[in-house]
Amino acid sequence: MMEVTHSIRERTIAENSLVILLQGLQGHVTTVELRDESSARGRLVNVDAFMNVRLEEVDYCDRRGRPSKVAELFITGRNVRYVHIPDHVDIMDTIQTQLQKIHRVRNFGSSHRGRKEYSKKTASTL
Amino acid sequence: MVLLKNVPPPTEGVRHQQAETAAVLDGRALGSGTLYVAETRLSWFDGSGMGFCLEYPSISLHAISRDLSAYPQEHLYVMVNAKLGDEAEMEAEKKEEDDDDDDDEDNSEDDSGPITEIRFVPTDKAALEPMFNAMCECQALHPDPEDDDSDDDFEGEEYDVEEAEQGHGDVPTFYTYEEGLSQLTVEGRATLDRLEGMLSASATQQYHMAGVRTDSTAADFDDGMEVDPGSTVAGQFEDADVDH
Repeated sequence: MMEVTHSIRERTIAENSLVILLQGLQGHVTTVELRDESSARGRLVNVDAFMNVRLEEVDYCDRRGRPSKVAELFITGRNVRYVHIPDHVDIMDTIQTQLQKIHRVRNFGSSHRGRKEYSKKTASTL
Repeated sequence: MVLLKNVPPPTEGVRHQQAETAAVLDGRALGSGTLYVAETRLSWFDGSGMGFCLEYPSISLHAISRDLSAYPQEHLYVMVNAKLGDEAEMEAEKKEEDDDDDDDEDNSEDDSGPITEIRFVPTDKAALEPMFNAMCECQALHPDPEDDDSDDDFEGEEYDVEEAEQGHGDVPTFYTYEEGLSQLTVEGRATLDRLEGMLSASATQQYHMAGVRTDSTAADFDDGMEVDPGSTVAGQFEDADVDH
């Protein structure tokens, strides 16, 4: 559920924006408010770098306030206005964890392992 | 996003195709046909070849609805952020419908822009998941071109982040003498030796050229700008006016 995308471009975008926070919320139940003033509350299945949001088991309220249940919902990033962060979520922790995942994916198979990617380049690379 | 007639269904990049799928457009049933979820656009055509296409950027959201109290059949719901046209035809028909239309798809009061609601009702309800998933995948292929946020730190082309991190940005673009020497391949050394030979043969013996002396240790190395005072030859500088 909290896997990191396979796309280099998407990892770069995520790493440089707060989308990374939303990606860390995958698995949580949250409310998404849309630009057209409808809203959707459900479990966050996936958020991509373009802020496209996929939810499941959703209570959807259309812009006129009519409720309905939706099994699966995909909201185009452009139409997302707010994403509620659940109170129990530690924002900094979530961001750090996601960044670590990205760095692990990025350095997979390279000679750098574990924490070495954060240290300065040593003589081994000269 | 367009209402088209007699346009052939897509043949390439079709992620999912679902026959026996009814289409209901803003409450108006269009009959049964085939839904094509292609990478370029979403389209639906009935048996006689009439149908419509949707461009993914025009789709605000899509969903699987299993709530029979909201709509009597399980279906794939698609919200389009525009009014489907053939405008003249569609609007004329809509006006007629509005009079006796107890369908609560009344968009005249919405302020946030016109929308079209489409429901694709497949005969095979198990197909809803693959239809939905295929649409998610295709939608992700069409990110919002007007989105400024994701462009700020990231310009245009893909680049290999790993390469940028590990690569030559950390290494100076020139080598000091010792480093350069150690980086040479066998061929490189041979070339260097040959060039040195040529240089020392053509230039006067007195000049020490930077980087040429291979036998010196670092301590002995000079910048080659100084003439070795011990080895001048009488009359050596008499032709100093000549350009070399």
